[in-house]
Amino acid sequence: MDWRRFSFIGIIIILLFGVVVLIGGEQISPLIIISSMLATTLSVATPLTLGALSGIFCERAGVVNIGIEGMMLAAAFFGWLASIYMNSIFEYSPAISLTIGVLAAILTGGLFALLHAWLSITFKVDQIIGGTVINILAIGVTGFLNRQLFFDKGSIFGGNVPHAPGLLPTLSKALTVLCSGAQGCGGLPSLIAGTIFDQKPVAISAILLVIVANYVLFNTRWGLRTRAVGEHPKAADTVGIDVRRVRYINVVIGGMLAGLAGAYFTIESVPSFEPLMTNGRGFIALAAMIFGNWTPFGAWAAALVFGASQALQINLQFFRESIPPAWAFLQQSYVVGLAPYILTMLILTGVIGKTTPPAADGQPYEK
Amino acid sequence: MKKLYAVFAVLLVAALLLPACGASGTPDCSKPETFCVGLVTDVGKIDDKSFNQSAWEGVKQAEKDLGAVVQYIETTDAKDYAKNISTFAEAQYDVIVTVGFGLGEATTAAAQQYPGTKFIGVDQFQAAVTPGVAGLNFPEDQAGFLVGALAAQMSKSGKIGGVFGTDAVPPVWRFGEGYRAGAQYINPNIEIFIVYHSDVGFDKTFSDPEWGAATAKSMIEKGADIVFGGGGKTGNGAVIGAVEAGALGIGVDTDQYYTLPEAQKGLLSSAMKLITPGVFDLVKMAKDGAFPDGNFFGKAAYAPYHDLDSQVPAEVKAKMEEINKALLDGSLATNVSPVKP
Repeated sequence: MDWRRFSFIGIIIILLFGVVVLIGGEQISPLIIISSMLATTLSVATPLTLGALSGIFCERAGVVNIGIEGMMLAAAFFGWLASIYMNSIFEYSPAISLTIGVLAAILTGGLFALLHAWLSITFKVDQIIGGTVINILAIGVTGFLNRQLFFDKGSIFGGNVPHAPGLLPTLSKALTVLCSGAQGCGGLPSLIAGTIFDQKPVAISAILLVIVANYVLFNTRWGLRTRAVGEHPKAADTVGIDVRRVRYINVVIGGMLAGLAGAYFTIESVPSFEPLMTNGRGFIALAAMIFGNWTPFGAWAAALVFGASQALQINLQFFRESIPPAWAFLQQSYVVGLAPYILTMLILTGVIGKTTPPAADGQPYEK
Repeated sequence: MKKLYAVFAVLLVAALLLPACGASGTPDCSKPETFCVGLVTDVGKIDDKSFNQSAWEGVKQAEKDLGAVVQYIETTDAKDYAKNISTFAEAQYDVIVTVGFGLGEATTAAAQQYPGTKFIGVDQFQAAVTPGVAGLNFPEDQAGFLVGALAAQMSKSGKIGGVFGTDAVPPVWRFGEGYRAGAQYINPNIEIFIVYHSDVGFDKTFSDPEWGAATAKSMIEKGADIVFGGGGKTGNGAVIGAVEAGALGIGVDTDQYYTLPEAQKGLLSSAMKLITPGVFDLVKMAKDGAFPDGNFFGKAAYAPYHDLDSQVPAEVKAKMEEINKALLDGSLATNVSPVKP
């Protein structure tokens, strides 16, 4: 893999963390700052990581998917809706309702992806337009249903709206329950306990999925076929690979990953849905995918840079008074907010090595 | 392929017909006996559980109590402000409520263009009087001061946090800095983490609950045990995130005990601006022909403690009433500048 890219990303993240430790280290112990920033980084990066993986599966098979944003949004809504209905109408326990919610979100992502696959593979619609259709459709459907179900049914101030069963628990809570047994778990180092184990199931599975995706793409027959179809579909077809089938399946897998990212918003982060709540993260995920040169680990690292710069932006404001006058520009939080976009542009212009998309990316396959 | 075109054609025709159905049966606002009130939201939704919705509740009260014909338009893009306002003005609505600081310029411009219409600008401070425009303002700094004082008294760790929308919007700035001033009034050495979501545009700063929750959680990791969330859905996310992480939350604008059921178990209070009665009062004045041009000041308050009532000591409750009284009669000032310097 591309060591230059990874060391560049590593240095950036260390720099971002270092700035906060330098500024706030006297007020609050550096260990707490680092562990808290790591926790923010990991959770903020979750939807970006999953969204980027979604893009990788689609584009490695040769289908451009800019509808990730819409898939996330729709999944966030329908997953949340399912969890509410399971809890308040069918009266399942919160744990079961939330699990069903996550599954519903994944299913929603998959169905929207199926629509994208149908448009772009079967009908050979321009894939950028297909993705735009998904985005607009998701905004309309979720906004409309949200209004119909939760607002027009009398005022929310009347308080008769069923509410969400809560949120997925953090892993550390689950660990505390497990460890309350006879031996306990021994002192887990606080840094790890406060960051990795303070994450919730979707965030943990995002990390695991990065490893799985990398293995599938580069070490299995399916991965080889996927890449073949994305690089040179004609050659793949000649040796007997069903190009359309491989593309369909990969796009749907991608959609399911975007669906899991949607679950992060309404089932893991906050127990409520807001119209447009994905706020462009599906597009940042695409940037992370390109940044990472269409590889799972690269995209993950890029997502972590975005997460780290958000952690920086939040944390710098805590210590606003301690920022030395020479660095006064850091007090403007929008300056810091720009960091990931400037980085993306640097990467895209090829400063740290070239990015190469799959050769047949975006081209419909004609026999 | 032909079939697909046919399906699209049918869908397109259906889409064209839909809005036409909605428009039928609208009462004619040009008649003097029909009293029509229109509301234009800021970029955001009418069901935002805070700002737009509270103003809309005031308009709906006018529907109930004054027999007004009411309607709203949701703004989806800041460049549509003027267009949305003139939609109502052209239909000869009697009163148009525009919600939010962002609509200020469009509102005064529309008032000059449509002199027969009364405009109520929520959160729009009128530097100069424009005939036909009443700016409904609130002392957010006092509301923030109250909950800041409450947070400082209730915090066990001596660290409190606040998550806000962009400080470029003066009412948000007043909430945030009022909170800081109130906390420092009780305990000058208190550690306060205040974060404004100023790194994104106006279209996102109030609608980012996930960012709010992540920010609140980061404050709690650094020891804060009370978080004030002030900024539409971003603030809602912060309050829910704080309560979920075991800290206490403080809501904003309305008594959020009723609008954030997810946070009820840990909602200490809310910094309220009484928007609903303020809007209703102004609509009523317009109907009675006693419309005040210029600035009109609503009231600030702090919400009841609800589920946490038994955990708030009697001396804290007494102190809060004392501060509230002092703020109202002017013997205590928040010393917060009205806009970010």
